[in-house]
Amino acid sequence: MKLGMVIDLDRCIGCRTCMVVCKSHNAQPPGTWWNRVFTPGSPEHQVPALQKGEPQMYFLPVACQMCENPPCQKVCPVGATYTDDQGRVEVDLERCIGCRYCLAACPYQVRQFNWEDPKKAKGKAGYVEGYEYGYPFPHRDKNGRLVYIPNRPKGVVEKCTFCVQYTDNGEKPICVQACPARARFFGDLDDPHSEINEILRQRQAFRLKEELGTRPKVFYLPPTSPRK
Amino acid sequence: MHRKNLALILGFFLFLVSLSAWAYQLKAGLIITHMRNPFSWGLYIATFAFFVGIAAGGLIVSSAVYLFNIAALKPFTRVASLSAFASILAAAIIILPDLGRVDKIYLLLLHPNFRSPLIWDVLVVSSYIVLTFLSVYFQLLPDWKREGRSFLNRWTQRLSPEEVEKISITWSRRIAFVGLPIAILIHTITALIFATQVSRGWWYTTILPADFISVAVASGAALCLLIALSSMGEEGFSRYGPAFAILARIAGCALVVHLFLVATDLVIHWWWANPDELELLSLLFRRYGVLYALEMVLTVFSMVYFLSSRGTTSLRTLLVGSLILLVAVFIHRLNLLFPAFNHFPLSLAVPGAANELWSYPVALGEFRPGEPTFVSSWPYVPSLGEIFVDLLPFALAIIICSWMISSYSILPSIRKGKDRTLSSSSTHSLDF
Repeated sequence: MKLGMVIDLDRCIGCRTCMVVCKSHNAQPPGTWWNRVFTPGSPEHQVPALQKGEPQMYFLPVACQMCENPPCQKVCPVGATYTDDQGRVEVDLERCIGCRYCLAACPYQVRQFNWEDPKKAKGKAGYVEGYEYGYPFPHRDKNGRLVYIPNRPKGVVEKCTFCVQYTDNGEKPICVQACPARARFFGDLDDPHSEINEILRQRQAFRLKEELGTRPKVFYLPPTSPRK
Repeated sequence: MHRKNLALILGFFLFLVSLSAWAYQLKAGLIITHMRNPFSWGLYIATFAFFVGIAAGGLIVSSAVYLFNIAALKPFTRVASLSAFASILAAAIIILPDLGRVDKIYLLLLHPNFRSPLIWDVLVVSSYIVLTFLSVYFQLLPDWKREGRSFLNRWTQRLSPEEVEKISITWSRRIAFVGLPIAILIHTITALIFATQVSRGWWYTTILPADFISVAVASGAALCLLIALSSMGEEGFSRYGPAFAILARIAGCALVVHLFLVATDLVIHWWWANPDELELLSLLFRRYGVLYALEMVLTVFSMVYFLSSRGTTSLRTLLVGSLILLVAVFIHRLNLLFPAFNHFPLSLAVPGAANELWSYPVALGEFRPGEPTFVSSWPYVPSLGEIFVDLLPFALAIIICSWMISSYSILPSIRKGKDRTLSSSSTHSLDF
């Protein structure tokens, strides 16, 4: 099984719901975002950039690209970053020594470091007292490696896990579940009859920074009619 | 003697300051530095690369004595080996505060990933620590025997002083032979940590390992000069003037190679006019232009100074030249990071837009009320706490060098009659 994702940029409305549910479900501390949605060419999101004299815009969501040739995994000196049997690139939160080589290596800059204790960061952000968010239980892979915990230890790296706590149970990542525009598709790239393989056969798709040879398992369908 | 004690006290003071700052960082997290997600390596890694450089240079100098038989430099093999040992320990120690989970560092041994250049570096740096230690150890062995000191030398108890002297010479030479390739390797591999990363255009160049070696030779020679001159003073200069001049010339020539490599690298970055490459150059020449100009001026100055006769005429000029060279190399190490991190790898071409190369914003990893969380560049400047922590390797190197110099005969003796390193027997057996 090789899990992958297709994002249809024609359907994406740039509402950032996926950013928020990702942050919330995965208990990301303030200032940390595994999933980003921006308007290419524009300094502000949802503000059109002038292109050839006309305002135009489209939206580009970027989270971990789940590379088949992942630089982050290759540079990790202790093997904390690894690709599991479903093709997901995960971080073993108990193995990471916090050297941040992977932050330098990742061309998509999706990796986030815990510069301070997440609980402390949440305290400083000014949430209502007692408010906690995120999937509440630790999650380990088949081999017992800790790949999710609501509050990560200070000094380790984290990133999108393809919502390992949900996809392990056959559910879809929360960004796919929550997308109001149904712009995201998720499934098995090894299964020729999967929905995403169907889409990839029918539509022209591209991957980010294809020239670097990282071979992402996240595909994009280009915007055919940019919003004006 | 007084001066050396002063250095030791200064070393311990800096050590305490940096340890306290590190303790604070351990408690608060790396948030006390100004590194953030988009700029994730800073002063610590630059300092690491700096110390690896001067460490490799130290043994390259002492190996050159054996390989090229430069007799004038022979009295300096001890101080070169010591500076190599002190610098490589300093390089290793500054990695510790850079780790988010230094308490889990043992995982490097339990679960090494041999694909990672960082593991290669762990291997060569550890080997180099052992090797430079042995180099200092074998060179001091005859002294310890003669003076009846006991430090890991019980096995020499049954040997005669002559036998110990012979072992010392044989093994010093063997270590110098193994040391040279390993010295070159620590630099090559430290450079490969950076040069393997296709996502960072500023690092991704085959020139980097060669350039690291040239910088190492220059800064290693400068450090030997600095240590020997500052501890031996005017008297030492008048006794070993020609040897100092050779060291200065080695440093000057290495800088010529360095500048040549830098220049070809810049031409290649510029010629194709790829927007990504041009942005790198714009970062280097505009945004960090003042820092880069300073680096260039100091590098060119110390090169010209050391290659002309003016720079080697007096103790003062040699000291000034070495200091300027080391500062230039330190800035060079900082400039390894600025263009690399502030040109975001996820930059997209937006055809027809005013801003053709658009950097995809990155979350800082810190929430600052009223200020943006997502940035397209990060104005990294080391924080005060970071600078204090960064004193750690400097303090360690000062402590090791001043303690060893005041306790053992590391430096060439100043009076002619007492010259041990150039005694006829050892000179004879070192020649080949």
